[in-house]
Amino acid sequence: MQSSCAVSTVRVAPSAGYTAPLTGREMMLENPYRPWPARITSITEMTAAEKLFEMRIIDERIREAFHHSPGQFVEVSLFGIGEAPFSISSSPSKQGFIELCVRRAGAFTEALHGMQCGDIVGLRGPFGRGFPFEDMRKHDVLLVAGGLGIAPLRALINNIHDERSDFGKVTIIYGAKTPAELMFRDQFEMWRHRNDFDLYLTVDVPDETWSGEVGLVTQPFERLEIDARNTFGAICGPPVMYSFVIEAMRKKHISYDHIYVSFERHMKCGMGKCGHCQIGHQYVCIDGPVFNYWEAKNIQGSM
Amino acid sequence: MLYRVIEAAEIPLLVRAFMESYEVVAPVKRGRTHTFDVVEDPARIDLDYETTVISPKKYFLPSKETLLTFDVAGNEVTDYTAEVTPRVVFGAHACDINAINRLDLVFKEGPYADPYYVARRNATLIVGISCMPNENCFCHLWDSDEARFGYDLFLQNIGDKYLVSISSVEAANILEASCNPQVATDEDRIAFRKATRRRQESFNRDIPDIQEVAMLMDAFHKDPFWEELGERCLGCTACSAACPTCYCFDIYDVLDPGGKTGRRERAWDSCTAPQFALVAGGHNFRGSRRGRVRHRMYHKLNGFLANHDHMLCVGCGRCVVSCKARINPIEVLGFFKEKGAHDAE
Repeated sequence: MQSSCAVSTVRVAPSAGYTAPLTGREMMLENPYRPWPARITSITEMTAAEKLFEMRIIDERIREAFHHSPGQFVEVSLFGIGEAPFSISSSPSKQGFIELCVRRAGAFTEALHGMQCGDIVGLRGPFGRGFPFEDMRKHDVLLVAGGLGIAPLRALINNIHDERSDFGKVTIIYGAKTPAELMFRDQFEMWRHRNDFDLYLTVDVPDETWSGEVGLVTQPFERLEIDARNTFGAICGPPVMYSFVIEAMRKKHISYDHIYVSFERHMKCGMGKCGHCQIGHQYVCIDGPVFNYWEAKNIQGSM
Repeated sequence: MLYRVIEAAEIPLLVRAFMESYEVVAPVKRGRTHTFDVVEDPARIDLDYETTVISPKKYFLPSKETLLTFDVAGNEVTDYTAEVTPRVVFGAHACDINAINRLDLVFKEGPYADPYYVARRNATLIVGISCMPNENCFCHLWDSDEARFGYDLFLQNIGDKYLVSISSVEAANILEASCNPQVATDEDRIAFRKATRRRQESFNRDIPDIQEVAMLMDAFHKDPFWEELGERCLGCTACSAACPTCYCFDIYDVLDPGGKTGRRERAWDSCTAPQFALVAGGHNFRGSRRGRVRHRMYHKLNGFLANHDHMLCVGCGRCVVSCKARINPIEVLGFFKEKGAHDAE
């Protein structure tokens, strides 16, 4: 008997014990678990523990179809070791290449740090909901980054930079434990020089080279003049940082739904299924990783 | 929907007809309980079963499966095709069919369809069977005691006959070719009404009916009750394995012994496993048993509902048996019942 329950492009005429292989272009296009080969085109050492990897998807058709928004992430594969999510650090306006800032923090990142230019990794994505870049246009933007939290925010900063005339006052507060742990310093010095951004750099523990601020990222808030009704806040950093920074932004009367935070979780599938990144009723991988504070407040267990 | 009536004696004919084109899996007796297993002889099937340890979800989301194979040196994927066996799940209860309908919301109808799941779902026919509740069943509380869709045939026992709901063309063809389906008579309809009423009246009335449970999950999110419940959890994850709606999984790579090739697998995982929400660098976002147990219950009784308008619990009662620490939705309902009584005083 011919069955009409055909699987994908394969006609299934089943008999006992018969197995139908799932093949064909349809499946290739549809399989979202399949990583695509990408070549490492540049590696920049940022700090003792962090490197910036520039990657290029090899297949032209896939590469040209790849579009991301700031705040989104990709899944990187090193076959035999596994797969891990990384937020994209480059602006969408930089086409054809993807930059990932990777901290050495475990077996996977250790292996990635050992790779050379020209090596191949697997890549799939982009996944998730990023920052509301289009809504942010014509507004002032206050960005607060702590530690590695600069990685996703840098995509947003660079994207704003590329379309700078479309934005109002843009303020960046970036804190790290020590001066040696500050990343993207060349870029920040350049921006400060051009007066595109008001940049506040702060460290917890200064050394003899440090002439900037010392203390929490909320410290510069006292001096900020914020037009609350016209400002978007964007925050990314270690979990402990969020409540302090949100409180500081709320004190400046920035609306609940104009304060955006990016959450870190272990997104394994990236597609709202495997459950590892779940908080309350939300999946960080599809509902986030960027949430506004109102949404975050309504997620049980988010902060 | 189309209804017809067949004799109970025709069931083996129907099963045999399915066997000509499909692998048939059905409840068979194993030890003191039942399990879904491949059957080659219709006589092995026991349709009068209470429940199975594992639900038919294993035929759509296997406990372990290969997503792709790879070559290590080139860091490239070598194959990512799935093998799908055309299959009939014969004798699924309404709760388990409703559970598969829940899985569909995530794996078939979500923003990213899961090709492995969808292939299996499309290649599988489901024949449902009516049942009577045991003391752990509470499907009626979540409106899961009837399957309204998601099956190909549903057999409602009406004495020595079955009233068959026919939902798909494939199943209709096989039913007509193998049996002698009759138009339902008034007598059949009365028998159907009696049978469903008998089921509805047979639920364990000691299980509290708290319809506002979702709201209460939010309202009592910080209650010490969760500490007490969490303290008991052994982290064994049997609850998730037994649960027909639990679908979380882990993804990991397995190297072949030579170390040059390997495969990427996924396997059932559970949010009650201690390392489930661990991230690189060592931070665990749900590092306490309280947090993990509460999260699981919250997703079942509130979170999934918020996104999909259905509970992620069908009241099948499997976790009541599988959890050796007595952590299950009935306990949660009991807490809310006590709490409500206490606060009302």
